[in-house]
Amino acid sequence: MLASFDTHLFWTALTSSPYWRGALLALALTAAALSTAVVGGFFLALGRESSSRAVRTLVFLYNWIFRATPTLLQLLFIWNALPQLWPVFAGTWFTPFVAAYIALSLNEAAYMCEIIRAGLLSVDPGQELAGRALGMKRRRILRRVIVPQAIRIIIPPTGNEFITLLKLTSLASVISLQELLTASQNLAAVKFQYVESYLAALVYYLVIVSILMAVQSRLERRFTWTSRRRSPVLAPAVPAISQSDAR
Amino acid sequence: MSMLRADGVHKRYDDLEVLRGVTFEVEPGQVKVIIGPSGSGKSTLLRCLSLLEEPDAGEVSLEGKRPGPGDVGMVFQKFNLFQNMTALQNVMIGLVEVRDLPKNEARAQALEFLERVGLADKTAQYPDELSGGQQQRVAIARALVMRPKAMLFDEPTSALDVELVREVLDVMESLAREGMTMVVVSHELRFAHHVASSVLMMDEGRIVEEAPPEEFFTSPKQERTKRFLSLVE
Ligand SMILES: Nc1ncnc2c1ncn2[C@@H]1O[C@H](COP(=O)(O)OP(=O)(O)O)[C@@H](O)[C@H]1O
Ligand SMILES: [Mg+2]
Repeated sequence: MLASFDTHLFWTALTSSPYWRGALLALALTAAALSTAVVGGFFLALGRESSSRAVRTLVFLYNWIFRATPTLLQLLFIWNALPQLWPVFAGTWFTPFVAAYIALSLNEAAYMCEIIRAGLLSVDPGQELAGRALGMKRRRILRRVIVPQAIRIIIPPTGNEFITLLKLTSLASVISLQELLTASQNLAAVKFQYVESYLAALVYYLVIVSILMAVQSRLERRFTWTSRRRSPVLAPAVPAISQSDAR
Repeated sequence: MSMLRADGVHKRYDDLEVLRGVTFEVEPGQVKVIIGPSGSGKSTLLRCLSLLEEPDAGEVSLEGKRPGPGDVGMVFQKFNLFQNMTALQNVMIGLVEVRDLPKNEARAQALEFLERVGLADKTAQYPDELSGGQQQRVAIARALVMRPKAMLFDEPTSALDVELVREVLDVMESLAREGMTMVVVSHELRFAHHVASSVLMMDEGRIVEEAPPEEFFTSPKQERTKRFLSLVE
């Protein structure tokens, strides 16, 4: 053990309210933004495959803007510039959490669009053909046949996006959201004991990601279709750490 | 009146004219077997007959009318069973989603049809857990349960290992004996010999010859048919 490690301080930090509140906030923000982005990304993905050229172009522009610019800039824009553009955003309801939720949802939807689109396209076209031969309507085929099969493909990369987003929530400390990083920064600033302060935050991130991995492998099994529930072979149950962390 | 009829059907994909005016009809209870080289438009013709594909010109009719959803059953070369559903769910879904039957009713009928194709013990299996022959029989049950007026088969045995071909042909033969109106694209010439009312030769988007099997195989009139038969046999 390191000579200067203060176990007591580490433990106090770990169990202190700013830390677990911060962790809860990060988790809530990630879950909320990702859920919204999945729904948004689904419709963007349908838009990318739309027969209307105008719709396809709009989706392209959306993805281009949100993927080509830094997430931090998007966050600052929404927090600082939006209230100047539209007075509705100047109200008290527009908290750092809401601003971060909007920014991360919009940003993540552009990434989820590509993931969901790839998932939908990976389903064998023969599946839709068979549905149409039975007389099923397109929408029903999408819902009963294509989407469930695409979900299996979409789960692992979405797990990666969850991890990326979780880490991105620390960006919201710049708009004074009291998340995990803020908690550890504050403690470190008071005590000058960086090791204990940061390590406590690190533990929370690790715990959250471990819970996610467990949920993910359960989901993957749920979307693997065999009567004997063997473990999925298509993709690793443990998400590879995303390579797109440059955001 | 004929059961199923194609009248001057044309279909093109961009520059490629795949069907160049196909006319033929199938009387109730008849089985027509279509043969022809790869790319001659056989699959496209079946897709037009089941209205999976809209003809550019010409008409398709079932008992004189445009076929409704599920009225013409289709069986594919690669089975195309829904991968996320058990055998039973595959057979039920059309009844639930298209015929609006309550689930328990649909289940009872689906079980009956799975039994008919000899798969009463495989209802809970997913497609991945079935052999090709079993998958194709589920696919036949899935189409039959909709009570189609005609059945189309697009090379139903050509994706199967040889030892699995028989079980699928047996189901098709018994279906033919029961009087189902069928159009079958297949190069199983013995099946054509035994079961077909007539055999059609398709080439470059046209039907170039049609005759009863005896005549078709022993004394084909067209040079193209002779050449093709010598290649297949
Ligand atoms: N959806 C499609 N789009 C473009 N070309 C197609 C399509 N379907 C079939 N074709 C073309 O039409 C021709 C006939 O195809 P097909 O009907 O599948 O022939 P067959 O079943 O006799 O082998 C082929 O050249 C094929 O490439
Ligand atoms: Mg074909």
